[in-house]
Amino acid sequence: MLLKDKIEKHLLEIQKPSRYIGGEVGSVIKDKSKVDVRFAFCFPDTYDIGMSHLGMKILYSLTNERENYWCERCYAPGEDFEAIMRENDIPLYALESLDPIKDFDFIGFTMQYELSYTNVLNMLDLAGIPIFAADRGDELTQIVVAGGPCVCNPEPLADFFDIFILGEGEEVNLELMDLYWEMKQQGATRTQFLEKACQIQGIYVPRFYKYSYGEDGIISKVEPTNGAPAIVKKRIIKDMDKVYYPENFVVPFTEIVHDRVSVEVLRGCIRGCRFCQAGFIYRPFREKSTDTIFRETKCLCENTGYDEVSLASLSTSDHSDIDPMLTKLIDYTAGEKINLSLPSLRMDNFSESLLEKIKKVRKSGLTFAAEGGTQRLRDVINKNVSEDEIMNTCRIAFEGGYSTVKLYFMMGLPTETDEDIVGIADLANRIVDLFYSIENRPKGRGVQVSISVATFVPKPFTPFEFEPQDTREMIEHKQKLLMDSVKSKKIKVSYHDPNVSQLEVILAKGDRRLCKVVYEAWKKGCKFDSWDEHFKFDKWMEAFEECGVDPAFYANRRFEYDEILPWDHLDYYVSKDFFIRENKTARQSKTTPHCRLKCSGCGVSKEIGGPCFAESKSNI
Amino acid sequence: MQRVRATFEKKGRAKYISHLDLNRCMLRTFRRSGLPIWYTEGFHSHPYYSFALALSLGFESSCEILDFNLNEDIPFDEIKDRLNAVMPEGMRIVKVADQKQKITAIAKAEYSFSLTAEDVDGLYSAVQALLEQPQILIEKKTKKGLKEVDIKPEMEVVSCEKTDNSVDMVMRLPAGTQTNYNPSLFIEALRRTTDIGFDAEKIRRTAILCADNSDFD
Repeated sequence: MLLKDKIEKHLLEIQKPSRYIGGEVGSVIKDKSKVDVRFAFCFPDTYDIGMSHLGMKILYSLTNERENYWCERCYAPGEDFEAIMRENDIPLYALESLDPIKDFDFIGFTMQYELSYTNVLNMLDLAGIPIFAADRGDELTQIVVAGGPCVCNPEPLADFFDIFILGEGEEVNLELMDLYWEMKQQGATRTQFLEKACQIQGIYVPRFYKYSYGEDGIISKVEPTNGAPAIVKKRIIKDMDKVYYPENFVVPFTEIVHDRVSVEVLRGCIRGCRFCQAGFIYRPFREKSTDTIFRETKCLCENTGYDEVSLASLSTSDHSDIDPMLTKLIDYTAGEKINLSLPSLRMDNFSESLLEKIKKVRKSGLTFAAEGGTQRLRDVINKNVSEDEIMNTCRIAFEGGYSTVKLYFMMGLPTETDEDIVGIADLANRIVDLFYSIENRPKGRGVQVSISVATFVPKPFTPFEFEPQDTREMIEHKQKLLMDSVKSKKIKVSYHDPNVSQLEVILAKGDRRLCKVVYEAWKKGCKFDSWDEHFKFDKWMEAFEECGVDPAFYANRRFEYDEILPWDHLDYYVSKDFFIRENKTARQSKTTPHCRLKCSGCGVSKEIGGPCFAESKSNI
Repeated sequence: MQRVRATFEKKGRAKYISHLDLNRCMLRTFRRSGLPIWYTEGFHSHPYYSFALALSLGFESSCEILDFNLNEDIPFDEIKDRLNAVMPEGMRIVKVADQKQKITAIAKAEYSFSLTAEDVDGLYSAVQALLEQPQILIEKKTKKGLKEVDIKPEMEVVSCEKTDNSVDMVMRLPAGTQTNYNPSLFIEALRRTTDIGFDAEKIRRTAILCADNSDFD
């Protein structure tokens, strides 16, 4: 029986079958007899989530522009379909050809969050691909690669992958495929290919690095072998106006999480919030011109038929041309009856004219990231938002007709005290009071202030990479304190499961010794760890126990400045010296100005051969 | 304003598009086509289009009806071509015409399907036996819960043939604004009356009809 028939026989037994059969508008079908290299682009979560991911859309289209390469999509099946696949010997397949991905040249995963690691193992297993890279033989095929933010410390995944791709993939992915095709024709082995591949900037081949550990459990040495470079540098795209952007998206039938056109407006971030990994690993700041953004928006709306578009970036209001850009976009979208959504706006440059523009396009409430409850703590984390700015933003919002605001905070930040936690409640109380002090507030409705509190997760490549995470006892104490401090019914508090945050930090800061824990956890049935209903913390703890790995060594221990960190041999352009400097500055509750105001000497300008901004004063 | 009635096929992989998803899919298809679809004028202005009948997930069809309005008059052939250029795989407009009859004129729909089994002879006998029963009682989900109904009086069997590995049937069932019966009701009833294992395949709506069995137009 053909695989397609096998799949179809069971499709009506499961939820949302259109996720598993392809055929969407915009999907790329090629004649496989004319294709040289096949790439299965896998997202280690369900279709609904994976299909929303912008990076995958970019790389999918980019690869398929090359006539002799074919990139296809693959997602983790839901529980119901996985059971059917296992029962009926349906291997994991790609949605365009419905061919098993085990027959592909590349199996590429995008690693967006730590809690998707077990899904990678599960997908490899479903595909019939050996889970450990060492078991894949020396034939040049089935190269398992990964990219995305999590590969800035890929060590907890090192045993499962042949290659990690550091940084932006638009150029390096094709270089890697070109090399593969060239060597494939020459009859090269996997090892020969990997030895050549690791000479390409951005390509990290974990098997070529030997780790030694001291008696204290800390890494004592990382030695490259097989001619691999001692330091692997990430890749970036220099000119955002020239970078490839797709003219079409695959338009799903079933509703997905971000079911709209997404247009990237800028990469990197000028802000330097000390907890934010994205703010550092995506440096330097580069933006697209208004013309490019407009052209891409129009083209994608016309080709996909979406009536909603969203601007993607880490901080859209930091675009140097934001007001004229929005005016131009809104002129177009309003005329075409398209909704424009603007996530990622900042409080400190939130103007009335910006609100007027948002009001035209958005009906729901406003969400702001305050992150810390007191000014002292906000200075520690370099979230350069003052209480006046928060109040002013809320005032503008209330006067503009909004009656709900949502505020994001973190708990367990470095130097945090009980006072900072009470400060969150106090701030929320003052916002409620502010609402009732405004004469022209929205009538007939009460105010609602929602507070969402996440547990702080220190991440590699941030000034807080050295920091320990609060223990569960500390977090529980703080959560209770916050609940007791909130007196008003107008304030709603929600927070994350601290167990999830603990696992996140371990996988974020872990080293190679965690690979076996990830494997054991998966063996015990862990998958979809980021889904509350699937998260099995007790199974994870059993896995740590059985592997003799102490979670606290990674989660609750301070990493010393002079210690070899698991990710020290990976270079994301921002220097460790800078992170140490910033960590010390944080401890003095001192802020660092954003990159447009003053260059903080993070190391990026050295890599790109000049200042990031013409106007910023050099500090190097 | 031009009022248009399009007839379209939904076959192959397109049969996995649910009715709810089909709505979204058509909206995007219209937008891709660039046709000047008419928007309602209410507070929540939205493009106006409607499907005459819902089609069950997993059913194919050669005759789905879609009504919509355009802001300007466009030749039927051009409408058809522009939509077909941007339709998803498996969906194709076969006809574009005026809206001659009212939707309420729809009374029934015709379906064809194959029941495949290893014991075709036994299955054929079971089908015949079921068809000869005075009543075919099924449980139908209604807003008030499960209700027992007899589908026999309103079920017209057009053909029932035995092949090497299947029993192929064509039947007409009530459809439209009043009563809607679906061939899976008959198939379920058959499963309850026989132990013979079979698969229901290629369920396809082949016609949308008025009370006098003429094609709805």
